[in-house]
Amino acid sequence: MKLTKKLFLLVASIATVTLFSAANADQLDTVIKRGVLNCGVVLDFPPMGYFDKDNKPAGFDVDYCNDLAGALGVKTDIINLAWGDRIPSLVSGKTDVVIGSTSDTLERAKSVGFSYPYFVFKFQVFSKKGTPINTFDDLKKVKVGAALGTTYETEYLAYAKKKGWGNENYTSFKSENDAYLGLFQGKVDAIISTNTNIATKLQTEEFKEYVAGPYVPNYDDVVGLIAKRSEVAWIDYLNLFLIHQIRDGKMNQRYNKHFGSDAPADLIQALRDNK
Amino acid sequence: MGTSFFTPLSWSDSGFILTGVLNTVTISLVAILVGTLLGLAVGFFRAEANKFTNTLLGAVLDILRSVPLIIQLILFSTYIGAVGHPLDPFVTGSIVLSLYTMAFMSEVFRGGFESVHQSMVTAARSLGMSYWQTVAHIRLPIGLRAVFPSWLGVALSVIKDSALVSVIGYMELLRTSEQLISRTQQPLEILIGVGLFYFIVSYPLSLYGKYVERKMAI
Amino acid sequence: MEYEFHWNIVFQKLPQLLNGAFVTLHVSVLSMLIGIAIAVLLAIAKMSDARIFSLPATVWVEIARNTPALFQIYMAYFGLGAFGIHLSPYAAVLSALVFVNAGYLTETFRGGFQSIPKTQYSASKSLGMSSTQLYRYIILPQMFRRIYHPMTNQFVWSILMSSLGILVGMNELSGETQRLQSLSFRTLEFFIVAAVMYFLITKFVLFSAALISQKVFKGEL
Repeated sequence: MKLTKKLFLLVASIATVTLFSAANADQLDTVIKRGVLNCGVVLDFPPMGYFDKDNKPAGFDVDYCNDLAGALGVKTDIINLAWGDRIPSLVSGKTDVVIGSTSDTLERAKSVGFSYPYFVFKFQVFSKKGTPINTFDDLKKVKVGAALGTTYETEYLAYAKKKGWGNENYTSFKSENDAYLGLFQGKVDAIISTNTNIATKLQTEEFKEYVAGPYVPNYDDVVGLIAKRSEVAWIDYLNLFLIHQIRDGKMNQRYNKHFGSDAPADLIQALRDNK
Repeated sequence: MGTSFFTPLSWSDSGFILTGVLNTVTISLVAILVGTLLGLAVGFFRAEANKFTNTLLGAVLDILRSVPLIIQLILFSTYIGAVGHPLDPFVTGSIVLSLYTMAFMSEVFRGGFESVHQSMVTAARSLGMSYWQTVAHIRLPIGLRAVFPSWLGVALSVIKDSALVSVIGYMELLRTSEQLISRTQQPLEILIGVGLFYFIVSYPLSLYGKYVERKMAI
Repeated sequence: MEYEFHWNIVFQKLPQLLNGAFVTLHVSVLSMLIGIAIAVLLAIAKMSDARIFSLPATVWVEIARNTPALFQIYMAYFGLGAFGIHLSPYAAVLSALVFVNAGYLTETFRGGFQSIPKTQYSASKSLGMSSTQLYRYIILPQMFRRIYHPMTNQFVWSILMSSLGILVGMNELSGETQRLQSLSFRTLEFFIVAAVMYFLITKFVLFSAALISQKVFKGEL
């Protein structure tokens, strides 16, 4: 009887200590101990993230995941996310960090922790050649689409509301890929997407007959890495990582690989200034 | 640079599609197996339990049947993570799909158990069988045989509903094909292939179900 | 639990969610009405001796019953899109639901019709009933009684499956929830509210159905 009691106490105290120390380890420790970085990427958004012809993840964000894992000295596990999965994946601990072009709105920052900006996009109109779109205001005359729940959808809808256009000519798509497929099939006449994605699409055979149009007026899409809001030390580490990406020239290297030119000076400066 | 993001389907994709097929089959089998066992237990319990427990249990099962599966998947997957126990999509999907299956299976089995006449059970007891003997030799075999077609119906719908597990990131058939559609911009060919797969699995089984039903009716 | 619930944003967006719920109800009611109309025709075609009628009906029914609803919605949206037929997200979901509802209800109606013994026809004739009277007083009331419950179930199924509208960017309850959660990142809160709304909608439908059946069938179902 006594022995059982002692054993029980022993097990209980070991359990307590283990639990306690586990609770104390922060995300940074957890990743290093685990030896694997669970890195969420949206593989629906070339050239930031996409699947190559072998159905393997590739892109700027994927390279950033690998760079981060390299800095931490761990392996990378790339986790493919839809736009809407980004936060749930963090909250649920499925991912340690999401490198997925997340616009750093103040509304979202109530729910999730943002790093410094790591990229800046412009929102642009993309349509078939010959579609009568010269200015952004011409959109009210054609069928427009964008991916559901993205910042450019919000921006477009806000703009349309301000101008009193109504939403009859607007279609949401579940994802960025679906939006391009919809444009390709002719479901909509124009979509709103990021300048980077449009630039890569323009190089493909399928979208040879399409042109990049006007930008969404007065809007820069500044995006950051996201992590659990409470993991402050981890977010600090991510910030330092981003600074090093620029300082060590990795940012420019990756940009060159995926966009075919050096990173524009104003982009680098904007990232240095955190804006 | 200059690589195309759109590449046509090729034979090298067949392995990728096959993974999707296998994943669909795996998660369906898991959900049907676990859902059936749980459903059997719950169904039996409900046929035996008093009114109060029954109402309570019924309410829980009711929720599982009245909230869309897609919402259950998103909610559960987010919730278990939020409480600090993230699971991979296969496990998460299996749990939700199994419970969902259980909710329907329990009704099927409950009906089966209640379809066995009380007089038959009484007769068995008077022959000296114990309570559990009547369960094992009378109520289970007779009750189960009666509900086989309904069981098959639920199982078939589980195979089809397993497509929804794609929303939490499980690479089952529909999600793999969606990825291929994004890459190839050839939705029609790929979708028809996917539809054909489900049909080839589901149609013969549904015919068999009808055949059994007819035979039992005679 | 690390997650802190923020409910105020959900209350702010409640009008949008309610609007989504209305679209959900709208599309499912419409899919039932059209589905029933088509199912009647398909059931008649399926019972016909001419293969030219029965075969297409059988093909429709079997495809509807043996492929996932998700597949059908994709097919209606991007599959038809490949032919240059462009349905809006609403129309795509509606047509997929109509397709499935018609498929399932055909079997329900056929079963209901065949469940009535042939002797009743001759019996009514011998009582001197006209065929309008026969159908009005004998056949249809019995049939309706038998198909009422499966029809209610099909309606509930339509409500639940319309949630797949989320996958084609439709603005029904699930799609609206998805949009709102990705703007604020309050996933749990928004989806919990959506789940409650779905529950209430289906309960409301089942309750009304039970009420109607009590009035119409006087309880004997």
